[in-house]
Order: sequence, then structure tokens, then C-alpha cells
Amino acid sequence: MIYFDNAATSWPKPPAVCAALSDYFGDAGGNPGRAGHRMSVAAARIVENAREAVAELFHANDSSRIVFTQNATHALNLALYGLLRPGDHVVTTSIEHNSVMRPLRHLETLGVELTVVACGADGMVDLDILHHALRSDTRLLVTTHGSNVAGTIMPVAALAAFAHEQRILYLVDASQTAGAIPIDVQHVDLDLMAFTGHKGLLGPTGTGGLYIREGVALSPLIRGGTGSDSAHETQPEFLPDAYESGTLNVAGIAGLAAGVNFLSEIGIDAVKTHEQKLVAQFLAGASEIPGITLYGPRDGALRCGVVSFNVNGVTPSEVGLILDESFGICARTGLHCAPAAHRTLGTFPMGTVRFSFGWFNGPAEIDVALAALRQIGVWARSELATH
Amino acid sequence: MDGLISFFASHHAMRAEAVLKGSGWAVRLIPGPKDLSPNCGVALRFEYAQRENVLAALVAKNVRIDGVHCYRPRSDDWSVRR
Repeated sequence: MIYFDNAATSWPKPPAVCAALSDYFGDAGGNPGRAGHRMSVAAARIVENAREAVAELFHANDSSRIVFTQNATHALNLALYGLLRPGDHVVTTSIEHNSVMRPLRHLETLGVELTVVACGADGMVDLDILHHALRSDTRLLVTTHGSNVAGTIMPVAALAAFAHEQRILYLVDASQTAGAIPIDVQHVDLDLMAFTGHKGLLGPTGTGGLYIREGVALSPLIRGGTGSDSAHETQPEFLPDAYESGTLNVAGIAGLAAGVNFLSEIGIDAVKTHEQKLVAQFLAGASEIPGITLYGPRDGALRCGVVSFNVNGVTPSEVGLILDESFGICARTGLHCAPAAHRTLGTFPMGTVRFSFGWFNGPAEIDVALAALRQIGVWARSELATH
Repeated sequence: MDGLISFFASHHAMRAEAVLKGSGWAVRLIPGPKDLSPNCGVALRFEYAQRENVLAALVAKNVRIDGVHCYRPRSDDWSVRR
């Protein structure tokens, strides 16, 4: 079996991730921050060590500014609904995932003004067009860091500079890049960054978070018990408690910390180099197969570990089925929860076949996939010729 | 240990423990005494005589505290009597 669906969720997880979940259930099964007994304290240590590890990975100097959420979608909703009010103007791009688009389209019905900047056919944003979309009353710019369809990496440092020139806040969706491409929230000067724990960070599903720069105030998405300030019936305002009501996914967070520690030992630069080599190998091989259309930047250095393609004359779902059943290759087909991105690439409504590579994939697997695509291409051409 | 630091959030209590233990101080997390602070979580015992150095170490690491108390839980007598 070859697993090329790491952009949906990474597989396999490092053995330390599984061990961390087992350790939590065996040795530290308490509720963090709710009591002073040893099981509660052990659980709180797990959560806070994880927070420190994540903060260090993203170069955030104050770990209390990392808030844990269920996933990146939850974090994006917290940022968008916590910040935007009727009358605010927000700018995003046409390559975004529905985890950004759907909250923004809903906020639009509540009176938020939305501008969607068209990206090029390779998914790249035109900085001039984007610059002109920013207005004096724009409150927020939201972009992905890496496209989940085309793999395109956004120039987040330049976008942050544009936004801050006009005192606009900048929210980055790092779902595809956290753990796969180095991110320094202070150096890039990000205001908000949503990440998921179960993709590049190699943790379990049900984990993620939001980095919130000091001075950025959000209204909480949910309110409730935090184990702190318990004499008051109003929500605490200090972080991380203000945004972490209800019992956290401690088991998941334990696994997330193990994933982050695994990555810290490898180094994110090494992960990026590895994935971009696989992307370059795939693009070079696939571009020589007749009948294969590739989407996204041709230069592997402009991409995260995501490639999208189609085989002429065959639907993406048919290719996905053949890859799975005949070659044991797990790919994701269709629209990838990003209809706007597919309109941008010109692949709406059929979508594409997507391969997404991770740390545990290797060049031999790319060769197997290319050989499979050659065979599917030959079959597709004969099918087209006979029908 | 006759000193106690209370916290607003368990995040800061855990960080305080890590910072102070890392610097070689004897500290211990205990359930936060409700007569000192209404928070559900933990407080950190330490030697009150060391309070200036301890607080400086916490400030240097951005750890925020609720209060510093000269405090010995009555439960200390429990183990003495037994």
C-alpha cells in the first residue's frame, strides 16, 4: 500500500505518538487544570508541555498565545467569528479551502463585506491585484499558506507586510504547511495562524490550534468552564483559558506533542526538502506521460507536498478507483473541499486527482505511482480511441 | 515550604513549576487553597524566604501569577501527628 493522502491526514504516525496516547490513558488520565491531585496535574503537564513544544516550533515567544482547538477549521472559525463584525471588510483569495470560504460566506450574510482576489491558474496570488483589493476600512486579510489542491505556497511574508502597511490584520491558514514548511510567526509578523495537529504535525485527529498575537482581541466562539476564575459567571479574558472552555482533548494533545517533538528532532527544513524532492520527482516524471495534465506551479520549490493532475478522458474518481484497487495507491479525488480553488485552476466541477506526500513517503513510491499512471494513460488513450 | 504562589490559569502554574524546577528550586504543586484563590486548579509551594529570586525568575519567563502568600496548609500537621 502506498499512502499519498497526507494532505487529508498524515499516515503513518511516529510510534511515539501512539505511545503518548497509551501513556495518557494509563498514567495521567485526569482532567487538566480542574483539580490539584496527581492525575490532574499530570494531564495539565501534558497539555502545557505540548503548548510549549508547538510555540517553539512556530517561534512564538509566549506559549499562552497558542490556543488548542479541535482542528484548523475550529481555529479558523474562532479567528473569523471572533474578529469580524457587520460593516468590516475582509479580503481573501480564490484558492481558499471551504474552512475559510464557508465562514466568510456566512459572515457576508451577516453584513461583513468580502472581496475574493482571483489567483492565477497556478494558484498563485498576484500581489498587485491583492494590494489594490485592500481598502482603508479592511479589517482582515486571510490566506492559506499552502494550497490543499495545487500545492501553491503563498508569499506570506510579503502579504503580512502589505497588510500591516495599512494596519490590516493577517490570518494565515497553515493547515497544509504546519510541520512541513518552517514557519516563524514573529519573523513573518503574523497576527493569527490556524493549524491542524493531524497532518504535517503528525498528531492524532481532533487536535489543532490558533496562534494569536499579543494585542489581538477575539470574542470567544464558545464559553464555559476553564478551571480558572471559577468564582465568576463571566468568561475569563486571559489566554489560553478565554478560548479553551470545556475539557480539552488531552489524549490527542499528548499525541500531538509527540508528533511535534519527532519533527523538532528531524527539523522542519529537512521535511520541506524531502517533500519538495518528491514533488519535483513526480512533476518531472508525470510531465513526460502523454495525456496527463498537471496543475499548480511547475517549480517544485513553489509548492508544499501537494500535486494535482488529471488523466485525459478519465474522470478523477475513476483514476482514484484504479489507483486504489489495482495499484494499492491511496489518493484523494474530486473537489477537496475547495470549489473556489478548482474554479481557479479550471477543474470545476470534476476536480482533480491529488497526491500529497509526507515524511514517510520515499522516491521508490513515486516511481511506482508514475508507472501506474503510464499504464492508466495507455488504457485511457485506447479507451478514447475506441469510443 | 512556607510560601505559596497562586495562579489565574493552570497554564501559568505548569510553566512556573517547569521554570523553577529547571533552576534547581524546591517547589511542589498542590491543590489551590480556596481560602486564598477561587481557581479550581493548582498552586505552587516554595520557600517564602526565596520569594524575591523566585518572582524574578518567573517575571523573566513571562509567567503570570495571581498572588504570593506566606502559607502553610494545615494538612502539614496531619503527617506530623501521624
